[in-house]
Amino acid sequence: MTIRARLSERAIADGLVVAAIAGWWLLSLQLPEFLMPSPWQVATRLVDLFVTPSLLADVAASAARVVTAVALATILGAILALIPYRWPVADAIVRDRITPFLNSFPSVGWAILAMIWLGTTDAAVLFVEVVILTPFCLINLLEGLKELDGELIEMGASFTRHRGRHFWKLVAPMLLPYVMSAVRIAYGVGWKIALVAELFGVSSGLGYLMLKAEIVSDAATVYATCFAIVLLFIAGEKLIIDPLSRVIAYR
Amino acid sequence: MPSANSFTEIGRRPVGAAWTVERRSRLAAHLFTLAFLLAWWAYSLVVPAFVLPGPVPVAVRLFQFFTTYNLYKQALASLEHIAAGIAISFVVGSVLAFLAHYVPVLRLAIHGRLSPFLNSFSGIGWTLLSIVWFGVNEFTIVFAITVVLTPFAIINMREGLETLDRELLEMAASFTRSRWRQFIRIVLPGLVPFVFATLRISFGVSWKVALGAELFGGRTGLGYLFNLAQQNFDVRLILVVIVIIIAFVYGTDRLVFAPLQARFGRAEAGLA
Repeated sequence: MTIRARLSERAIADGLVVAAIAGWWLLSLQLPEFLMPSPWQVATRLVDLFVTPSLLADVAASAARVVTAVALATILGAILALIPYRWPVADAIVRDRITPFLNSFPSVGWAILAMIWLGTTDAAVLFVEVVILTPFCLINLLEGLKELDGELIEMGASFTRHRGRHFWKLVAPMLLPYVMSAVRIAYGVGWKIALVAELFGVSSGLGYLMLKAEIVSDAATVYATCFAIVLLFIAGEKLIIDPLSRVIAYR
Repeated sequence: MPSANSFTEIGRRPVGAAWTVERRSRLAAHLFTLAFLLAWWAYSLVVPAFVLPGPVPVAVRLFQFFTTYNLYKQALASLEHIAAGIAISFVVGSVLAFLAHYVPVLRLAIHGRLSPFLNSFSGIGWTLLSIVWFGVNEFTIVFAITVVLTPFAIINMREGLETLDRELLEMAASFTRSRWRQFIRIVLPGLVPFVFATLRISFGVSWKVALGAELFGGRTGLGYLFNLAQQNFDVRLILVVIVIIIAFVYGTDRLVFAPLQARFGRAEAGLA
């Protein structure tokens, strides 16, 4: 591609962003504020979310839940994926029962059931997030176990009969990239479903903030929460997930 | 059998033994289902019915569901929303992917700006925004589903266009100068597996989005039933809706998409 073509590609891409914001601004002039707040109002609200202590607490609550849920779901997914590896008889249980069940269970269904079972608590939100994220991790790790290098495993078996040693020295390191991609996927989905989990009655977090704003027709806050989630997602990926996967790839 | 254990076992024993492992595994799965239902039943005896009704009342309610026109109608409404959302997002996503492919100047704008933007917004965010814009109605639901599904279509069709066999395209170009003919004869058939992959993924995702959208922004559909059931603390109805969705999503994936994909294509691009 010539430099000129690349420059015009760039110009069109960035032009699109500018045009979108300009179009939004023009629309906001025509429409009432509760329908279409101006970009500046949303931007100020967005900054508010990260500087006002009470709002920052909501942001932090959501972030803490997402991170905890991703960690728990990865552990749970790993345990479930390793069961058929250790006991082949259980293969169909995990692959044909637990995986499709968790995978096709509607997330809103979990949210409502958790509210009824656990009340409007932190535990309920965490439960919903973990149970939605687990199948993503499980599928990835099952896939990883399938792709393991059979010859290397056989070689390992010829060196030691010790199962634990075999696992920690060979299987676990080979599985690490799959664990990483499970974490990456779970993290991406985690931020999206955090809202669903928090919309049902819990009284902290961005989902709560968003619902509260929706009820009083505070469109600027609804917009700002959406953008805040995008920003938090990107920040987490660039600051935590990417370095982590570089470390793992380096090993 | 994917595990290493059974792999070595197959090597050591006659083929019949491996078959037995598979059969035992399947038996274990059936026992697991049975144990699950039993545990559900036993637990439902201990806790009050509004917390967790047992499998029998839920089954009875499920039967009533399909004999009550009003409930049955909601399931059809959901199906309509989903079908509309999948169809529109597929067309929009494909057009955008084609545009990016054939007009390279737009590539960064579509793959580097639009698609990540759509992809990073959460479904509930789109739902609440479209409620603000359009009110509580059918259009809101279809809009939310469409916007969430569009990036999936863009990403999958892009994958398809980029993995098209370059040599095959060159060969086609040596046979005819008509780009339209090349497109119809070579490009479109090459994309068929990716079309199926796109539809399969869209279908799986659409249910989850549709429920959320109907719950907050609709007066029809299974999500709306969730809303009613939640207000009345009708856990039986909630479980019935969940059972219907699991059965339908899993059944369609296994009975419709898996055979279709096995028949028409090998691509599983972007399933993750």
